[in-house]
Amino acid sequence: MKLNRKLLTRVFAVVLCLVFVLAGCGKETQPTSSETPSSTTPSSTEPSQSATPAAALDPVTLTFYCVGDSQDMSGIEKGVNEYLKDTLNITLEYECFGWGDTYTPKINPMLAAGDPIDIVFTSNWAANFRSNATAGYFTVLNDYIKKYPGVEQVLGSDFLNATQIDGKNYAVPTNKEKAHNWGFLLKKDLVAKYNIDLNSIKSLQDLEPYFDRVLAEEPGMTPLLSVQMDGPWHLLDWNTFSDDDVPGALYPDNRDTKVINQFLAPESVALYKQQREYYKKGYLHPDAATQDNFSAEMSTGKYFAFVAPMKPGKAVEMTQQTGVEWEEIFITPIVMSNREADGAMLAIPVGSKNPERAFMFIEKLYTDAKLKNLMNFGVEGVHYKWSDDKNYIIPIEESGYKTSGGWRFGDNFKDYLTVGEALDKAQQWEKYNASATPLLNLGFVFDATNVASEVAACKDVVQTYYKQLFTGSVDVDPTLARMEADFKAAGVDTLLQEIQTQFDAWLASKK
Amino acid sequence: MSKRKFRLANEISTGSNVVLNIIFVLISIVCLFPILLVIAISFTEEKQILLHGYNIIPREFSIKAYDFVLSAGDAIMRSYGISILVTILGTILSMSVITLYAYPLARSSFRYKNFFSFFVFFTMIFGGGLVPWFMVYSQLVRIRDTIWIMIVPYLINGFYVMIMRTFIKGSVPEALMESAKIDGAGEFRTFFSIVLPLLKPGLATIGLLSCLGYWNDWYLPLVFVTKRELFNIQYTMYQTLSSIQFLTSGSANFAELGKVLSDLPGESARMAIAVISIGPIIFAYGFFQKYFIKGLTIGAVKG
Repeated sequence: MKLNRKLLTRVFAVVLCLVFVLAGCGKETQPTSSETPSSTTPSSTEPSQSATPAAALDPVTLTFYCVGDSQDMSGIEKGVNEYLKDTLNITLEYECFGWGDTYTPKINPMLAAGDPIDIVFTSNWAANFRSNATAGYFTVLNDYIKKYPGVEQVLGSDFLNATQIDGKNYAVPTNKEKAHNWGFLLKKDLVAKYNIDLNSIKSLQDLEPYFDRVLAEEPGMTPLLSVQMDGPWHLLDWNTFSDDDVPGALYPDNRDTKVINQFLAPESVALYKQQREYYKKGYLHPDAATQDNFSAEMSTGKYFAFVAPMKPGKAVEMTQQTGVEWEEIFITPIVMSNREADGAMLAIPVGSKNPERAFMFIEKLYTDAKLKNLMNFGVEGVHYKWSDDKNYIIPIEESGYKTSGGWRFGDNFKDYLTVGEALDKAQQWEKYNASATPLLNLGFVFDATNVASEVAACKDVVQTYYKQLFTGSVDVDPTLARMEADFKAAGVDTLLQEIQTQFDAWLASKK
Repeated sequence: MSKRKFRLANEISTGSNVVLNIIFVLISIVCLFPILLVIAISFTEEKQILLHGYNIIPREFSIKAYDFVLSAGDAIMRSYGISILVTILGTILSMSVITLYAYPLARSSFRYKNFFSFFVFFTMIFGGGLVPWFMVYSQLVRIRDTIWIMIVPYLINGFYVMIMRTFIKGSVPEALMESAKIDGAGEFRTFFSIVLPLLKPGLATIGLLSCLGYWNDWYLPLVFVTKRELFNIQYTMYQTLSSIQFLTSGSANFAELGKVLSDLPGESARMAIAVISIGPIIFAYGFFQKYFIKGLTIGAVKG
């Protein structure tokens, strides 16, 4: 009994202590909690601002949520606020929430609840642009685009229109690469050693003799890297209607408008068989089916060739990333597809209290190089410094901030160059973009609502089989037979039919 | 020999003892091995993992992963602190709320106990859905972006209330409360001096469960918290790991994927985060275990 009482007293003591601690916490957290809801209303949160006389615009707070791993954005917020004080007069609240998997579940409920956020990143792979736009969570931007023409001038109306849904712009895409193609990255030292004429390489077959030499002469090296879908599969460059692992595609050369299942197409089957041969010959890594990070694999320096998405300066970029020197070869034709249009966009949620001001800020990300770089690289002298020849910037490691990529918003071509990039990068890009062929379904959006379960089931089928087939780890014919049967059961015919119907209707409406 | 003489009636023979011990040793190894592997990987040089795969004994010992994690410095330490604070506060508060709710339900003299039982039972079957739930905390009870958002939603749990109610009913006889009343104790005195001391095993069970619940939670910060300084350790880890998973799954196919991938922490750093996030919670088991076992045995003897 005595013991119990002792224990009880102790528990009470602890609880009491905690109550005091709590009270302390409460006081501390209260200001922040009351700040949050009011932060988006047009009130001056910094006394210094209200003291500034005769600003053209009322001070407002803009919340900007973006994808990325960057931390400690306070320096950037301060820099932006100071820079825009006399023009836009905003207080920026800027935060990154990881990539698709953590960003999407955080942003979607906020959008659904109509939270007062001013600018969000959205795309085909994060914060579900299409479904959020059709659900009415994003402000229609057509009027703003007309009123503030900077965005359209930078982007060009073709590309801007490709992201429209029923003639409405719900978001503005980043001005970056507007096209894609695929090609090879070859390890530079071996290219030199074997004296390979890069212009003579037109297909995978052309590389086979060199693969044999790698096997014979370079112990421990694997000739060809194929990780998940990032491998020879991309050389077929199927013009897909949905995610890469959903059946439904056109030939990439615009030959017809018939929707087919690209995973069972004769070209694909031929590729599976070729990869099976490669696997048996040892061109591919025995564990290829279970590898998952091509970037990490490349940086081991144990691979000779890799199939990569191409763009001007790709080899330089990959050399920087992996610490291994590469040479690039363009193989597939340059095409303009939805993939690029929907890849990175900014939208204004309907909950925004200051949509117009938010759009003015977005416009500045396209037209104002200083702001764009401030948002991306941070403050000069704090987050980065210029190289001695003033051509490149060098990030300052200890600043605590690291950019997550300038391709996420605004005009990517206004970004300062980082060491190793070509000085005429922007011109190279323009040339590349201009040489692209638009694909037949550019601007067409497949609405998967009616066949959601078929899409999910077919995705499962693809995920079950593709890694083995793409890396030649299994015998092709029996696996293919099983995959075909599973596709049937998953309702692939219904899915293809639905895509075809929608696509035909869209084509007809375009004429 | 002499041992044999004094063998107790319920003691098992040496042979079966050895066999049983071996079985349990094996089970322990199966449980411990993955943890040891994670620890080993966290101390392995990154390149070695890529080249040779996982090894239980590091081919090249390195503490670079921990350097990397701790160089994020503040962020990790801060989120660690948040987790500890939330776990302690949350556990104590939720134990109190649950016990105080369950106690009247266990008393047969409480007139509305059926209604309140149903009230809490209902929440076990039906939920409001994500968006309404989100709106409650963003528009009605505005505690988003405070420490409370990681505590309040888990304060009461229908299932735990049911456990507690059953436990009180089973271990505190109604007669005891009556006799307290006859001796002149009021409701509060009855509860705090008579009933509460008898509930230790029950409290330990609920305490352990909610303690683990709070420590392991990453969902509340994921949905509600936008302020980086309030992220707890599990969410910080979740964000890192799921980013990696997402980016390497093949379904994220954007042009700059390669650039993003190369910036991700390596295999060993991920394991280091995992090791760190196991953290103090393993001690919670030890702390609660004493009562936990007692609770089980008391229940067993009394039938």
